[in-house]
Amino acid sequence: MTDTLIQNLLNGALTGCIYALIALGLSLIFGVMNVVNFAHGDLVMVSMYLTFWIGLGTGIDAAITPLLTFPLLFLIGLLVYYAIIDRTLRQRYVTQIAVTVGLMTFLRALAQLIWKAQPRALPYSLIQGSIQIGSYTILASRLVSAAVSVLVIFGISLFLSRTWAGRAIRAASDDLDAASLHGVDFRQTYALAFGLGSALTAIAGGLLMTFQQVDPTMGVRFGLLSWCVLAMAGLGSIPGLLISGVIVGAAEAMGMSLWDPRARSLVIYLLFILVLWLRPRGLFGRK
Amino acid sequence: MRSGNSLPRSLLIALLVLAALLPLVARSNQYALVLFTTVLLYGVLATAWNIIGGLAGQLDLAAGAYLGLGAFTVGTLLIRWNISPWLGMILGGLIAVGFALLIGYPLFRFGIREVWYALSSSALVEVLRVAFLIWNQVGGPMERYLPYHEWSLYHLRFATYMPFYYIMLGMLVLALVVNHRVRHSRLGYYLMALGENEDAAEVLGVNTQACKLQALALYAFLVGTAGGVYACMYGFIHPNFFSGPLSTEVAILGIVGGMGITYGPVMAAILLVSTREFLRANLGGQLESFYLVVYSVVLILIALFRPQGIATFVRGAYDRLLSRMVKE
Amino acid sequence: MSAPILQVAHLTKRFGNLIALNDVSLEIREGELFSIIGPNGAGKSTLFFNIIGLQKPDAGQILFRGMDITGKPPHKICDLGITCTFQVPRAFASMTIEEAIRVGAYKRYGERDVARKVDEVIALCDLEEHRRQRCCDIGLSLLRRVELARALATEPMLLLLDEAGAGLNPTELTELMTVLRRLNEEQHITLCIVEHVMQMVMGLCQRILVLDYGEVIAEGSPQEISTNPRVIEAYLGKGAVC
Repeated sequence: MTDTLIQNLLNGALTGCIYALIALGLSLIFGVMNVVNFAHGDLVMVSMYLTFWIGLGTGIDAAITPLLTFPLLFLIGLLVYYAIIDRTLRQRYVTQIAVTVGLMTFLRALAQLIWKAQPRALPYSLIQGSIQIGSYTILASRLVSAAVSVLVIFGISLFLSRTWAGRAIRAASDDLDAASLHGVDFRQTYALAFGLGSALTAIAGGLLMTFQQVDPTMGVRFGLLSWCVLAMAGLGSIPGLLISGVIVGAAEAMGMSLWDPRARSLVIYLLFILVLWLRPRGLFGRK
Repeated sequence: MRSGNSLPRSLLIALLVLAALLPLVARSNQYALVLFTTVLLYGVLATAWNIIGGLAGQLDLAAGAYLGLGAFTVGTLLIRWNISPWLGMILGGLIAVGFALLIGYPLFRFGIREVWYALSSSALVEVLRVAFLIWNQVGGPMERYLPYHEWSLYHLRFATYMPFYYIMLGMLVLALVVNHRVRHSRLGYYLMALGENEDAAEVLGVNTQACKLQALALYAFLVGTAGGVYACMYGFIHPNFFSGPLSTEVAILGIVGGMGITYGPVMAAILLVSTREFLRANLGGQLESFYLVVYSVVLILIALFRPQGIATFVRGAYDRLLSRMVKE
Repeated sequence: MSAPILQVAHLTKRFGNLIALNDVSLEIREGELFSIIGPNGAGKSTLFFNIIGLQKPDAGQILFRGMDITGKPPHKICDLGITCTFQVPRAFASMTIEEAIRVGAYKRYGERDVARKVDEVIALCDLEEHRRQRCCDIGLSLLRRVELARALATEPMLLLLDEAGAGLNPTELTELMTVLRRLNEEQHITLCIVEHVMQMVMGLCQRILVLDYGEVIAEGSPQEISTNPRVIEAYLGKGAVC
């Protein structure tokens, strides 16, 4: 009993690193331009399908496809920004939400149209085998995915602190007026943040496909899940994001093994509401 | 946007008569009746939403939660104890209110606003759906059917959809009257003020927390009772009644209808829900969910290019038509 | 000398490590034109927010006509008779001027009499020609007048104004000062004006309190304040940095 529990917790914590990666994309978008993107989870779903498609058509492994899907999702992000989001910046936030909810419905319906409703999975993965630690087995694909997620998260945080573009993004999220005074073009910065935030879902989607299946409705779960991670972490703390991701992943796994397999989302939502009630500013956040 | 939002009385009466006559045109066409009733249902939900969303500016995404609670109250009471849905509707509404207050109190107490309110209310719908799926005594994964009756007013069960159309029409009128009353009362002004700026409303003596709870309670009650009718109309209850897509759609109707405009959400419901059903009927055949792709594009376009809402647009068209008729 | 209407005793407010207010005490008397001034970042706005209840102090006490109002929510404080206008007007953007004033008027009037009170305030603040204009369509100076009007509609005994003069041109400023003086004399409203610019309050107020770095550095009549070396230093010191 405890053995399976710990086993599940380990798996959950590793998946949680990918959740943190998804939430990082969301926090770039929300933190920088204060846009509430309800479609973020569905971008993860779309990335997973793209990975599935590429994998099936060309035989390229899911762990490598992010190299292709990353620029693709970046372009999609830019397109969405300039076609839709840019026009809503000066409007009330409800209009923004109406638009991104429309986008969410669009992506979901499109996925259903193209790939039908049944779950899809890739039959193989480059990363084979598993690692034995004591009496616990860890799938190598999960471990590699978690490691890649952590690396990407720290890579992005380096990008944000070391490069001019990254610093422009951070400046815009701190104080837009001051940033524009220093020659930061806010529309370009916003577009960059939105593109980058969307592109991160490509990596997450590829990693998830190495050990999971995908269906058109799973965007909802990723969406609320990443908001949960973000609510817990608060804005602006990279280690906080990672810890929160791991907590959410572990909590999800625990709910599944202790209570009911269907309760996985229930646990996340309860956790989300609890965090909002008890720590409205997040556990690690500065805002 | 918000002033001058009442329609001329003559037009209202004409519309109501038209709505009352509509089923006579549809006759025994059950498909048309379901469609009309569905439009009315969305009209009721979006009009109720207008109180918390449009006036008070709280982006509530939990309509499905209150709808489901109302439906399960009515269904369970009828199936288990043969209690009339008329009583069940009231109880369902009250349970929805109780639940709304239970959730709303801590949310408003801790000053959870805007995005986070929207997200936590939408999480609520999913929490309830899963909870009812797991809770086998009342919910569970199987549909629970209401007893069949050819024509029973007590059981609110009919072999035709016609009576449901009229019940829903009555509910819509009720929802509109409540909306109108609130809009022109102290509560309405307070809600509009706090929807714009909570701090400014507070220093002018508005107890923002209490006002938001009142708005939430009115909204939950209307949606809960509508949920009871919903269960009787479809003849079964299922945890999927706690529907996230329905909840977001209700909010969208309220937004694109015109925030805070009493008749906006109904107009949006008539236009958008019938568009959606038209697309479903005409495009759904060969390509499943293609209609949703088109529909969502329509939604995005309206939200982008008519941000003040359909109501202002319709109102403008009506005024132009009227002035042209007067000229002639 | 008239009775005190507001007493603030040993008020302290911290934000993390920053001490925004340190042991601030003051007393405003009934019917007085009082002012709180100080350079940027002196803690004026923090003091203001603590008095009206939008922030809660970490220590100290606030008494309104002898009643403890420390930590009470703003709407309760408004019930008792204190309200305010904001430094940056917080308009009810989509409402008309008339409707915005009505929000305040509902404080003391029911549905039957509220319209009469709205008309009264509109006349008092000279807003008749603008009453149906929307708050998102009007300029800053009119917006400030609307803020004042809706605050007056709640019939306060003590009115706090946070930098009501900021962004106004000299003519508008003189107008505002006339209105404030009239309110004080005719409506017997006690005014507390929180200002950054000294000139505005010098000609208007009877007593002035000067804050710097969260502490009271001087208190007295305009003459006393304008010759007080610590005040001059606080203001000039800032000027030298700029």
